[in-house]
Amino acid sequence: MAPVAIQTHDLSKRYGRVRALERLSLSVDEGEIFGFLGPNGAGKTTTIRLLLGLIAPSSGRATVLGHDPAVRSAWRREVGYLPGTLALWPGLTGARTLDLLADLTGRPAAWRGELVDRLQLSGEDLGRRVGTYSDGMRQKLGIVQALQCAPRLVLLDEPSKGLDPLMQVAFYDVLFDVARRGATIFFSSHVLPEVERVCHRVAMLRSGALVSVGGVEDLRRALPRRVTVVFRDESAAADLSEFGRVLARSAARVELLVAVDRVTELAGRVALLPIADLLIEPQRLEDAFLEQYR
Amino acid sequence: MIDRRARALVVRHWRQHRLALLVMAAGLALFEFVITRVAPEPGQTGFLGGLLALLPPQVASFVGSELALASPRGVLAFGYLHPFFLALLSAWTIRVAASALAGEIGRGTMDLLAARPVPRWAHALAAWLAIAAGLAVLAGAAWGGMAVGLRVRSLGVAPGQIVVLPAMAWLLFMSWAGVALLASALGREAGSAIAWTSGIIVVSFVLEFLARVWPPVAWARPLTLFAYYRPQDIVRDGVAAADPALLAVVSLAGFGAAAAIFQRRDL
Repeated sequence: MAPVAIQTHDLSKRYGRVRALERLSLSVDEGEIFGFLGPNGAGKTTTIRLLLGLIAPSSGRATVLGHDPAVRSAWRREVGYLPGTLALWPGLTGARTLDLLADLTGRPAAWRGELVDRLQLSGEDLGRRVGTYSDGMRQKLGIVQALQCAPRLVLLDEPSKGLDPLMQVAFYDVLFDVARRGATIFFSSHVLPEVERVCHRVAMLRSGALVSVGGVEDLRRALPRRVTVVFRDESAAADLSEFGRVLARSAARVELLVAVDRVTELAGRVALLPIADLLIEPQRLEDAFLEQYR
Repeated sequence: MIDRRARALVVRHWRQHRLALLVMAAGLALFEFVITRVAPEPGQTGFLGGLLALLPPQVASFVGSELALASPRGVLAFGYLHPFFLALLSAWTIRVAASALAGEIGRGTMDLLAARPVPRWAHALAAWLAIAAGLAVLAGAAWGGMAVGLRVRSLGVAPGQIVVLPAMAWLLFMSWAGVALLASALGREAGSAIAWTSGIIVVSFVLEFLARVWPPVAWARPLTLFAYYRPQDIVRDGVAAADPALLAVVSLAGFGAAAAIFQRRDL
């Protein structure tokens, strides 16, 4: 069993009456790329800030790399962090910004050169003041500062924001390499395709509560099937609502979502009916995700 | 272990504020030099004393004591009580303190700093050290300007005899640094920390003045930090031992409270 990088138990955060996070319990193994999905305001950023000890939990507890985030700070030497809303010092050059943050981390910036090359930040770019950077360049600098000191754990809050599609691909490749070198990556996003593409496991969060957690493939397998039945004529169309939620119904066509364990039963029933066509396909993860959003 | 990391924070403050510091230091040096040009020479004190005796008691009290300006030392001491001098030292203290904690939170950059393996109290310590170093530069520049002036124009006062004045000014503003850091540690924006600290300093200054000239509020004088910084009395009688001790205690207590609050608060 892999050692655990992040563990939370009933972790909660309230601001007055507002529940930002409610009893979150999850575990992330070392070396894993873990996706943390949810719409805006779901509690993703709150969770990351709790894990870093930037805010204190209202109740529950967390351990990060075996440490309580609120106690001492030395463990953060092994952590890289990219905030969701990245703010930098406009008067500092890119290079000075990286130097400052590496100095504060207290570890050599071993990966900086490689990251700068792969994310296409030139020496000239790094010599300019950050105040002159575009959003995309700022984000690239943010990614470099998070990864430059070869962290053991990386916490990324919506890291691909502001990157163009080509740079997103370069960034995903960087993440794969970082994970191959043994780092754990905790990756928050509200963009499902990137989480599907990058992450081993994914947790879905809604209104501060955990909705589901599992491997991307497991989640896909567990998704209900989208069944489309086309009958030979209107008069033969049967009511199949007992098998699942009917999504659409026209004269001789019924579309419904059916739980995996009821698909065989439905097929048996439909086989006795006069059908022209039968289509069974897994629901798209994106559709399931959007449903969780609603 | 804050060694290299705390140093990085102090250097960052220096880089951020150095231009303002150098301009202020030059302004103070020039100002104190000018003070030596307007101070009376020993032979002119009788004439000036007669003129000053005509001043309303409130104005005479404002400059320190009724006959404060009637001697070269009294005028030189006034150079360290003048609103220009106090305003610049206040500006430095408030600027660095507000920017270091509340300012970083307001800008959103504190997340990047606090996610590093640096204890949060080290941020307060770095700001306190940066304020101390900057105040030393400002007080030193003021004294340097006055020392040059005293070399150019002999007033019968050696620069070494008044070095205690910038030293006490440094201590007074280190105590204000404690207050300013506390306001910054409690705030979420530099603006609110600046407003609170400026307000407290101005009210304290006005209260100290009122307490001197208006007996019904005389009881409030010990409550203001300015009551423990009296340049006129210092050049006349020397430093009262309790004054630097009290200012140092306020500075350390303010810093300690700021560090403790900042260590625990949500960012």
